Amino acid sequence: MGLRAKILSGFLILAAMLLVAGSWSIYELRNIGMSVQKLLHENYKSIDAAKSMTEALEREDSGILLLLLGKREEGRAILQAADDSFHKAYETARSNVTIPGEQGYVEAVSKAYDQYKELWARSIVGTAQEGDLNWYFQDVHSSFLEVKRTVKDLRDLNDQAMYKTASNLEGRAHRATMPGVIAIVSAFIFAVLFSFVINLFVVTPIISVTRGIEKYIDTGKSFDVKVETKDELSKLVTSVKSLIAMSKK
Amino acid sequence: MRYHIIFRYAGIVLLLNAAFLFVSAVISFFNGDSGFFLLAYTCLIAALFGVFPFIFIPSTEEISNKEGFAIVVSSWLLSCLIGMVPYVLWGGEFTITNAWFESVSGFTTTGSSILTNIEALPKGLLFWRSATHWIGGVGIIIFALSVLPSIGKVGIVLYRAETSPLAAANFRYRTKKTMQIIMFVYVGLTVLETFALIACDMNLFDAITNSFATIATGGFSPKNLSIAYYQSISVECVIMIFMILSGINFGLLFVTLSGDFRAPFKSGVIKFYLVMLAAGVILTAVNIHGTVFEEWGEAIRYAAFQIISIGTSTGFATTNSNLWPPFSQLLILFFTLQCACSGSTSGGIKVDRTVLFWHAIKQRITKAEHPHAVVKAKTDGVAVDSDVLEAGLLFITLYIVIVFVSTLLICFMGVDIMSAFSASAATMGNVGPGFGLVGSVSNFSQIPEFGKWILTGDMLLGRLEIFGLFLFFLLKSWK
Repeated sequence: MGLRAKILSGFLILAAMLLVAGSWSIYELRNIGMSVQKLLHENYKSIDAAKSMTEALEREDSGILLLLLGKREEGRAILQAADDSFHKAYETARSNVTIPGEQGYVEAVSKAYDQYKELWARSIVGTAQEGDLNWYFQDVHSSFLEVKRTVKDLRDLNDQAMYKTASNLEGRAHRATMPGVIAIVSAFIFAVLFSFVINLFVVTPIISVTRGIEKYIDTGKSFDVKVETKDELSKLVTSVKSLIAMSKK
Repeated sequence: MRYHIIFRYAGIVLLLNAAFLFVSAVISFFNGDSGFFLLAYTCLIAALFGVFPFIFIPSTEEISNKEGFAIVVSSWLLSCLIGMVPYVLWGGEFTITNAWFESVSGFTTTGSSILTNIEALPKGLLFWRSATHWIGGVGIIIFALSVLPSIGKVGIVLYRAETSPLAAANFRYRTKKTMQIIMFVYVGLTVLETFALIACDMNLFDAITNSFATIATGGFSPKNLSIAYYQSISVECVIMIFMILSGINFGLLFVTLSGDFRAPFKSGVIKFYLVMLAAGVILTAVNIHGTVFEEWGEAIRYAAFQIISIGTSTGFATTNSNLWPPFSQLLILFFTLQCACSGSTSGGIKVDRTVLFWHAIKQRITKAEHPHAVVKAKTDGVAVDSDVLEAGLLFITLYIVIVFVSTLLICFMGVDIMSAFSASAATMGNVGPGFGLVGSVSNFSQIPEFGKWILTGDMLLGRLEIFGLFLFFLLKSWK
């Protein structure tokens, strides 16, 4: 291999190290960005929806209590508004299923809510249920707690996923910076070795050839320089020897 | 000293590491785990550093003994350095110190780990962890030289520099042939064990990684509970058989496989090795029966596995020997110091030197009885050269001194004496687990940072049989 190719290969090795490290860091940084996006758009969206569903359920509970007191208009208005809020939030959660097993949790919320709604959707004011606290505590409140539990389960699942994603971010940040650190250390070691090799196999032979020629010119002593490598420098030594041999004739 | 020659031959070793890193990266890729990039990147760095000297540095016909030692030690240190890179890139429990510890422990086949959750690592990284055992088990240089088509006189010097003089004496072939025999036995045993473990219903990945760790007498398992995870007597039996075989001189195994089935029983060292293991198992079983295990079957099962595991310097675990009575713990400590035969992948003082030690005592007693008699120590009917005897005894003394100094330093850092001594002995003998903080079902994560560096020094000293590493740092003239 010629000197030019050797030196080029040295620089190419250096470039390859830095290029791969750089590409990997970019890849990991992109992943960090995507993880943050996932954190905000997927998990947080579902957590927020679960929070809205819980609030709507609390309002519905208040509406039912008003109906029990015989206040139909106020009670129904609160129930209607809360039911709309619940459905809106539920739709957000349903369209944002991103975690394995989340679909089951969403379906459990829907099932529990349907059963709960069935209790207060029919007329309460002017019926046997009006003022019936036993009915409220035995049927309505237990059903209300069941829906709240399913919503809490959904929220916990997303909370855990969010924590996991955030923990992964720490690892990803480490993996984004470490290739750079390794590349810098490797490149530094490589640069030192490259310089050593260039000095040993390029600079030193050139100095030896120069000194050999000077010695021949000054003292007439034979040109006796040896080069280990088989490249342009060995050809140079051969050429110098031929030149000296020719000049002697 | 021609530094560029060291660089060139250490490059070969880096290329060998790059090949195994490539396989690990491929496993990670097909497994779809997060280890792919870090393994591929380390593979690239190792390959680039390995290829570079081939481009610039011309080959040489001969190297001096001094250069040979420098190449061997540099290759080990460089392998450990490149081996720690995937761990550093992975992060998690791997700080710089922990990554260095895990890498040195892997290559020196010690098998001590700092990991509290091994199963959290991606499969590719777990494979690399086991591969470091397999590369180091037979000797990094021997591995590299045996895959090269022709390396001439250089190979002879390097082989002698890496191999224990006791091991070399057991081979009666040319260097190249000897290396081929070692590799044949090494690869053969690994393949056989892998198939045997698969037959015991172990999955392919676990079978390969556990085989790597067994044949290299390393001890890294891909499971947090080590071999206890499998809860299988057949798995334990297979591993015990291969641990015993891996502790025998590979030359002798080759002769046996070639048809001379009596060969192992003609060797005094092998007889001593097997008798000591059998005695250790019986005594331990008797000691733990009734105190730790109610059933005789259980006592024999766990005593056999633990004694063979430690007595061959493997370090696998099936139970918590921290809970065993002091007598059994002392027996295990004896095996931690002695280990198996030279010429195998085992570490420690080695059975050969223990036998030499007894012969030296016998010689001294005879000499005391008959002061004018010319008494020669003999093994297998052959007189032992006084130089060999002296070197063996000096090695044992130096070994104990290093373990003592290491214990002292670790105790100074606030570690209790049992943990410090057993950790020092276990790392120096490339065994793996000790007692106390570093027991068979715990790990080295609780050892102070500086203590971990001391223990990695012990591992390297033990693997390079003390003098190799000493020579490297004490070479009078590096010019």
